[in-house]
Amino acid sequence: MTNLTVWVLLMPLLGFIILGLIGRAMSRRGILAVALGASGLAFLFTAISFLSMLGTTPASARFSDQVYYTWLNSGITVGEAPLTISFGLLFDPLSAIMLMVVTGVGFLIHIYSAGYMEDDPGFWRFFCYMNFFIFAMILLVSADNFLFLLIGWGLVGLASFLLIGFWYTRRAAVAASQKALVINVIGDFGLMIAIFLIFKHYGVLNYFTNGNGDIGVFNQVTAGGIPTISTTIICLLLFLACTAKSAQLPLYMWLPDAMEGPTPVSALIHAATMVTAGVYLVARANPLFQVSPTALIVVAITGGITALFAASIAVFQLDIKRVLAYSTISQLGYMFMGEGAHNYSGGIFLLTEHAFFKALLFLAAGAVIHSLGGEQDMREMGGLRYRLKITFWTFLIGALAISGIPPLAGFWSKDDILSSLLANATTGGGRVFYLLWVIGILTAGLTAFYMFRLFFGIFAGGYRGTGSTEHAQEEEEDDIKHGHQPRSDYEINESPAIMTVPMIILAVLSIVGGFVGSFALFGDLSWHPFATFLNPVFTNPTWTNVPVQVPVDTLSIGWLSTGLSVGLSLIGILGAWTLYRNGFFYKENKNPFYQLVLQKFYVDEFFILVLIRPALWTGRTANRLLERDVLDGGSRSIGKVFIGASGLLRRIQTGYVRNYALAILIGALLIIVYYAVRG
Amino acid sequence: MSLNLTWYLIVSAIIFTIGVTGVLIRRNPLIIFMSIELMLNAVNLSFIAFSHYLNSVDGQMFVFLVLTVAAAEVVVGLAIIVSIFRTRRDIDVDDMNVLRG
Repeated sequence: MTNLTVWVLLMPLLGFIILGLIGRAMSRRGILAVALGASGLAFLFTAISFLSMLGTTPASARFSDQVYYTWLNSGITVGEAPLTISFGLLFDPLSAIMLMVVTGVGFLIHIYSAGYMEDDPGFWRFFCYMNFFIFAMILLVSADNFLFLLIGWGLVGLASFLLIGFWYTRRAAVAASQKALVINVIGDFGLMIAIFLIFKHYGVLNYFTNGNGDIGVFNQVTAGGIPTISTTIICLLLFLACTAKSAQLPLYMWLPDAMEGPTPVSALIHAATMVTAGVYLVARANPLFQVSPTALIVVAITGGITALFAASIAVFQLDIKRVLAYSTISQLGYMFMGEGAHNYSGGIFLLTEHAFFKALLFLAAGAVIHSLGGEQDMREMGGLRYRLKITFWTFLIGALAISGIPPLAGFWSKDDILSSLLANATTGGGRVFYLLWVIGILTAGLTAFYMFRLFFGIFAGGYRGTGSTEHAQEEEEDDIKHGHQPRSDYEINESPAIMTVPMIILAVLSIVGGFVGSFALFGDLSWHPFATFLNPVFTNPTWTNVPVQVPVDTLSIGWLSTGLSVGLSLIGILGAWTLYRNGFFYKENKNPFYQLVLQKFYVDEFFILVLIRPALWTGRTANRLLERDVLDGGSRSIGKVFIGASGLLRRIQTGYVRNYALAILIGALLIIVYYAVRG
Repeated sequence: MSLNLTWYLIVSAIIFTIGVTGVLIRRNPLIIFMSIELMLNAVNLSFIAFSHYLNSVDGQMFVFLVLTVAAAEVVVGLAIIVSIFRTRRDIDVDDMNVLRG
């Protein structure tokens, strides 16, 4: 099996270093060559490795853990061997899928950004950060131990911070980037404590037994012997990290604000890749989670609540990127719901398909925003279907895909998760899975509704923007009448090919990407190439009584689940069509419930009241009482003593020559008198 | 009444006292300089007197040294006075108190 992971990792790092050092002095063409070359080569190497892995049989041979050097060799011994941490890269089906998503979607979005960011003065900085992000994300998904996972985890957070605050002159962007960083650090803290506990209990940090002979955490877990309660604590702390990074309740608030960043960033980092790191972590640490049913239930319930909660907020948002942000949170909740139902491959499957259609939706939204010169408010859009034809069609495909309309990508992945929820409920996984299944179906309906509300809002009806097209035409005619060259920005034009081509590629993937999913509904239970490919990572002989696969034994139940979710999705689309087919409208509504949802359940306000206000109050009070009077006052009074004393001495220095002369005289006389008296 | 050492020293002391008084009470720096010269020369006088009385040339050597230093000091002092006059159009020492603490 060819394994080029280390080159995949090095390419974006190299691009980042080159751009970081000399990017400012480079031409745009040069910057693009470096940035696109780095991410393109990373994708190429990933694809070669991936294809080589597909060609490797048996499935158990699709595993490569390459240790490159020993980074740390401490003398601290827990159990038998001292703690050694080596830098190694793991290439197995799970990291292969993740690498394909990260580098593939990353490369497409790099291409798109070349068009989107064309006129931005921070061009080199943007691509420098983007390459840095790709590097950090690759490190995260291909590290072979928890420590380097944490490093990648922290670095993607940094990249996210840098890119959210990319337009650093905008106050909102800076505030959003700080919010993202602070909330993510809460998660990083959880991950760090989890790693400490893992070290305490297992004495190693590498996932699997590596070349140094350190017996991996997962190998030890499957051998048993660690109390479940410790594992549960570890899993819950890991999941805390996931809730921050993947924007789940209660740490989701940073993601909608993260939309202040440039749209390609939203597409890549805050939809397709970075926010899915939590889903990856749960899947990666599945041997730990399998030992702890409590932790898995927490994962499933958190995911379920988040999915429904975020979807309901998305229904009333007016900013098109925020709709997509809440949709992302909701879909991530879906993924966790699947993972909580032991269906890790289903979670990763939705992650992959979501990367396609959500990146597509963001890129299409970006194309709309780009065409309208930065407008993001749905009330100022409408009627763009004739002007932005490619965007219209690709957006429609993305919206259908996320709504779960067969045979598009979203359908297969969503159905996979729903059927595993139902399978868990019916095979004794707990009644809560019935509830989660209902939540899943409801969310599917809501998703379809808000997505098509957005779709009709952008494309249906007439143009509602202030720079309306009729107005633009008048302006243009006016210019011609007065003999001026008409300005090109009067018209709303489709984005250049460099932006539309990545959208078209992603649209194609959103259509066909799901066909690697399950055809169980059509009677062939064994046809699920995606799960078959991933399952070696998720199967373990010591697991007991948990339905890992998706055993929808009776097709009728499967059909019921599928039929309900697709039916509700269609109802959602129909509802949006009924309300908004002639264009989006917005009217003030004083209904308290409506206001509650519109204001995002006042979560931000709640945290401002409960956390930020008290923190600021404590700070101010401490400043007033402690800092000003005790600490500052104390050190200042020492100064005051010297100022007072020197004030007395200062009086002697009159500045008059004769006073000094007199002093000298008196001094001389005193000396004479002294010697005269002494004799 | 022979002119012995005591008389020389009395004259020297009187001249020195005149010089000190001048330095202390006059406001014109030129006069102060002249007073300083008086003080120096009073000392010179006592040097010469001692030299003669003790039959040693050491005191006369010192006189030459003092004269040289006095000349150099006058050069520097007058230069300072001129430049002060150029900037302030006034050389009253009581107005020069920028070094006041």
